[in-house]
Amino acid sequence: MGILDAIQTGLSELLSHKMRSMLTMLGVIFGVAAVIAMVSIGEGAKQEALDQIKQMGINVIHVKRASITGELADKAEERSPFGLRYADADSITNVCAFADLVVPTREVFADVKAGERPVAVKIVGTTPGYLTVARSQIQEGRFLTDIDIRDHRPVCVLGAAAKRELFGFDDPLGRTVKANKRLFRVVGMLKPKEVGSAKAFAALRDLNSDIYIPINVSMTDFKIASQQAIPADIVKLEKIFLRMLSRQSMANQALSEVIVQVQSEEATGPSASVIRSVLNRSHRGIRDYEIIIPAELLRQSQQTQRIFNIVMAAIASISLLVGGIGIMNIMLATVTQRTREIGVRRCVGATRWDIVRQFMLEALVITCAGGLIGVAGGIGGARAISEYAGWRTVVSMQAIIVSFGVSALVGVVFGMYPAIRAALVDPIEALRYG
Amino acid sequence: MPLIEVQDLKKTYRIGSVDVPALRGVSFKVDYGEFVAIMGPSGSGKTTLMNLIGCLDRPTSGMYKLDGIDAGKLSDSARAAIRNRKIGFVFQSFNLLPRQSALKNTLLPMLYANQGKNVQLAKKSLESVGLGHRFHHTPMQLSGGEQQRVAIARALINDPPVMFGDEPTGNLDSATGVEIMAIFQRLNNEGKTVIIVTHEPDIAQHAKRVLRFRDGLLESDEEVKEQRIAVPKPRE
Repeated sequence: MGILDAIQTGLSELLSHKMRSMLTMLGVIFGVAAVIAMVSIGEGAKQEALDQIKQMGINVIHVKRASITGELADKAEERSPFGLRYADADSITNVCAFADLVVPTREVFADVKAGERPVAVKIVGTTPGYLTVARSQIQEGRFLTDIDIRDHRPVCVLGAAAKRELFGFDDPLGRTVKANKRLFRVVGMLKPKEVGSAKAFAALRDLNSDIYIPINVSMTDFKIASQQAIPADIVKLEKIFLRMLSRQSMANQALSEVIVQVQSEEATGPSASVIRSVLNRSHRGIRDYEIIIPAELLRQSQQTQRIFNIVMAAIASISLLVGGIGIMNIMLATVTQRTREIGVRRCVGATRWDIVRQFMLEALVITCAGGLIGVAGGIGGARAISEYAGWRTVVSMQAIIVSFGVSALVGVVFGMYPAIRAALVDPIEALRYG
Repeated sequence: MPLIEVQDLKKTYRIGSVDVPALRGVSFKVDYGEFVAIMGPSGSGKTTLMNLIGCLDRPTSGMYKLDGIDAGKLSDSARAAIRNRKIGFVFQSFNLLPRQSALKNTLLPMLYANQGKNVQLAKKSLESVGLGHRFHHTPMQLSGGEQQRVAIARALINDPPVMFGDEPTGNLDSATGVEIMAIFQRLNNEGKTVIIVTHEPDIAQHAKRVLRFRDGLLESDEEVKEQRIAVPKPRE
């Protein structure tokens, strides 16, 4: 029998039992649909993480101040009284050979007024390099310049959301905002920045509502509350207040974060270890700072992804296994039910191989049809998930091909035994059967 | 060369630990163009003989030649090929595929002959048994006589030299049985060798030669003196 005739025979047999064929397919349909939907969720999460990390920049290192409380706080207060300081930014600039840019930032929360209504924003004191390391772009006007810093100018640049909050649709350039009883002239505003829906990394936050001022203006006009050390001892606490009240040198000014941009992604690892050892020395072993490397986060997320993929593959293969057993069960019942048909076919000239092939093809048609429906269901499921749960999903061609291939394989493997049983039916017995 | 040559054919079935002889050494020949009826009571070995000469089973010992081929020693797939090309089977219970149309049932042996399907030939074959108006009916929609005629059309499709009928009228009323026998006689007149197994003497009278079996042995082999000519009654 030609292969086309055999496929046609299989199809017509399946079509004449639509309900049974459908039920037989269900296991495969669900298995394949589950694989595709799950992979697409995983793939979507991966893309999301990738985008966010890319947004942070793959070739930057963030050094952030970290708060220390409890017993360690006493030690921290004695040995490293200022937390992350301006001097740290300087020493990073001096020792890190790969560093292109070292940008210190100083963040304070303040109420800012453009008219009557105060808006709570974060005021970031920084240097011109910030625009580059934060991957922001100017919408209108300009960013902070070296001259702003040199001349200690009270100017500010608005993030897109901050501009909307303060000025609505008006043009803010040249107008002033009031913060901490000081007036700042608006010289520029930033383009809105995409922020991913899932806050996968603590290092990321919505930068759009920030206001940027020259770092030295921030130092004189705003105080950073000491976050890093809150000693239990009242005497020590007093010392902190005294120090905060007295005028400090620039080098001892506390910073929120130092962002270091290095030449390439490969340089992040070595640079981070240099920075770590320098800070370790100057902070005398107190870890009142943390070093965040987006490239490292990316690697970690890929690691997590891999584990997720393995778990998912295991679940999917179990459901396909169950589907395959279901198919074998139905096919065995079919062989018994169709014993007479097998006898007739053998009698008019079908060889054992013809019979094996017929039943194998029927199983294959079932699983392939189930696989196709499953692929459609999986794509639909992924759509539905992103529609209702708001998760990002990415349907990968690879997942479709692999799951469809596996379902076809299930047909071959689990169709084999019933087909061999069918071929071993004795035609004489079969013709007398039923 | 005879069409069928059987020499000392024996078949023993093993049931549990007991050997049960079904055929105990049978010899005969059938020439091309003969019309033979095989008769005998149940247990006489006629079904066993039918299975052997129909290449559905293999003899325990003895020689069987069909159309010059030593068919007793062939492999399973070689016997399938012989059944496909040399033999047309017609059964008591018709044995059509229940969900397939008359046309598809007729085409079935052609599918296994690896020569592609020739739908025109199948239609011609159905027309030759008077079913030109029933191509697309399934067996469920056909009467017993019509089903048996589909079975005959199927048996003829690969133009085999011999037709085997195993109680071909057993499930039919006598009028319909006569119609079927008329078809067999016509085929025989056209040169086809026909061998039928029956236990009805009336049906056996339509053949030209009768082989009688008893207890696994050939009891008698005689010509039919007055072959009865089947004349189907015209239907109202």
